[in-house]
Amino acid sequence: MKSILVEVCAGTHCTMMGAMNIMDAVHSLEEFQEDTPDMCDIQVRAIPCMNLCRDAAQGPFVRVDGKLIPQAESESVMAAIMARCHQLDGKE
Amino acid sequence: MRGLFTPITKIRRQVFTEVARYTFERDLDQSDFNYFYESSYRIIPGEVATYRDSVFKERAIIRERIRLALGLPIRPTGTHQPLTEGMAECATSGKKLELPLVNVIPFACEACPTDRIQVSDNCRKCLAHPCTTVCPVNAVSIGKSAAIIDQEKCIKCGRCVAACPYQAILRFGRPCAQACGADAIGSDELNRAKIDQEKCVSCGLCIVSCPFAAIADKSEIFQLITAIRSGHTVFAAIAPSFVGQFGPLATPGKIVSGIKALGISRVIEVGWGADVGSLHEADEFLRDVPDTKPFLGTSCCPSWAMFARKTQPGLSHCIAQTHTPMVAAARKIKEEHPSAKVVFIGPCVAKKLEALDDEVRPYVDYVITFEELMGLFSARQIELSDLEETDLITQASHDGRNYAVAGGVAEAVINVIRARDDTRQVPFLKADSLADCRKMLAQAKAGKANGHLLEGMACPGGCVGGPGTLSQIPRAARAVKAFAEASPYPTASDNTMEQLTPKILRPNP
Repeated sequence: MKSILVEVCAGTHCTMMGAMNIMDAVHSLEEFQEDTPDMCDIQVRAIPCMNLCRDAAQGPFVRVDGKLIPQAESESVMAAIMARCHQLDGKE
Repeated sequence: MRGLFTPITKIRRQVFTEVARYTFERDLDQSDFNYFYESSYRIIPGEVATYRDSVFKERAIIRERIRLALGLPIRPTGTHQPLTEGMAECATSGKKLELPLVNVIPFACEACPTDRIQVSDNCRKCLAHPCTTVCPVNAVSIGKSAAIIDQEKCIKCGRCVAACPYQAILRFGRPCAQACGADAIGSDELNRAKIDQEKCVSCGLCIVSCPFAAIADKSEIFQLITAIRSGHTVFAAIAPSFVGQFGPLATPGKIVSGIKALGISRVIEVGWGADVGSLHEADEFLRDVPDTKPFLGTSCCPSWAMFARKTQPGLSHCIAQTHTPMVAAARKIKEEHPSAKVVFIGPCVAKKLEALDDEVRPYVDYVITFEELMGLFSARQIELSDLEETDLITQASHDGRNYAVAGGVAEAVINVIRARDDTRQVPFLKADSLADCRKMLAQAKAGKANGHLLEGMACPGGCVGGPGTLSQIPRAARAVKAFAEASPYPTASDNTMEQLTPKILRPNP
């Protein structure tokens, strides 16, 4: 099964700006897995501060298969995952 | 809306961070509070409105939120008053918080309609139109293109809502009023929400339920930070729901390290005070129920206890006389360290109100929420995951730590009762919203709860569902469970808290 790695920064600033909510939103995509046979397997990982936020408040930061999303929100991260999933699907 | 991160959550946290940052950095003797005008531009930059119709209004609302975060009242909208009025007097380590604690910022309120039944675009003006047939007051008629409800006649029975085959009729009300189990939200002369302070028990759920961020509570972060910076010894008493609140990498030991990095001397688990409470409530139950009290209500949730006393004064004596876990822990600290300041850190807005009580004032100097604490971490750029773990001495039992979740308090008290008298049967009831608490009290009044232990909580899910939390309830409840299971003491009776006291409260040798 195709797999996508979602890394959510769990540093102080990113957590304050909703990182845990983003993680929960990503987990909520598992609901689609039963009905959507070509849905990817999603690995979610909390990672320590990447030091990207110290000067400019651009958090929360999320990486979807290595691609950085600044000022991430649940909706932008879920959309990026779904797009990545379709992309992987198309390649095979 | 609860459990989601919305622009409202973001604004609230930005205000806490901004106020905390300035308070940590300000010149203690020569502060220029005009800085807070700039703050409103930092939080709402530019000329284009993001959240509302006008950027000026957005900043005006931020300025009132800043005042509340400093512990000050909001200003009258119709007369001139400088933003900085009262700030210099408030900039002390003394207790400055005054009622009302929970405030509607009137010009932020969108004056949502109160309970209303309305026809939507979904109406197809169908031939059957069962909406008219079921209406007991003849309020529904069929207009040119859709059904029409005569709001004067409508008694909000909801029958038309249920009968419509197209889900075209909706019932909605004010989210703040719907969240308020104490029925404390009415309207002012401009139909904006107004809190009846006689009925309000400061549970704080309206604050996190208003989709326009029009309600906010006062904070004590300004006075707490000022105390730390003025050289006071400050002890933190941290509520059992703290675990899991600061992100998946912030372990309990790292959270404690983070609190110490702010300049706080020691951190005490309020779960330890919960164990004290469980022992007292078990004794009270065994002694008084059913002889002098038909049932016993738990006392740890101040909103529930106050709500019960206000709405059923005849049953007041049935709410346990026990000090809340917060007070038990704070008293112990003050006994050992009379000159220290105590800050309670929790998920709760009502604890701020409880700490204003004459009996509690001597023990608890400040109450802040987890969300406010996160603002302090952010202001000081304290990266919890980078910190060394503080080696925690277990201070609370499994049951004491479990006070944070609905049902945990009753279980803790019952376990002590069983340890004291294993023949005693203890039936119990629990409610975890004030609306359900009201029903539970009605049952009790009708004599249907005789011999019972009643656990009341204002927040859905218990303290982990409190308005001052950062984590969603299921995530927080899992973290609380794991931390509870890590305690070597199963119940309050097993906790050797007296022997622990020297270790946790006295300075290291």
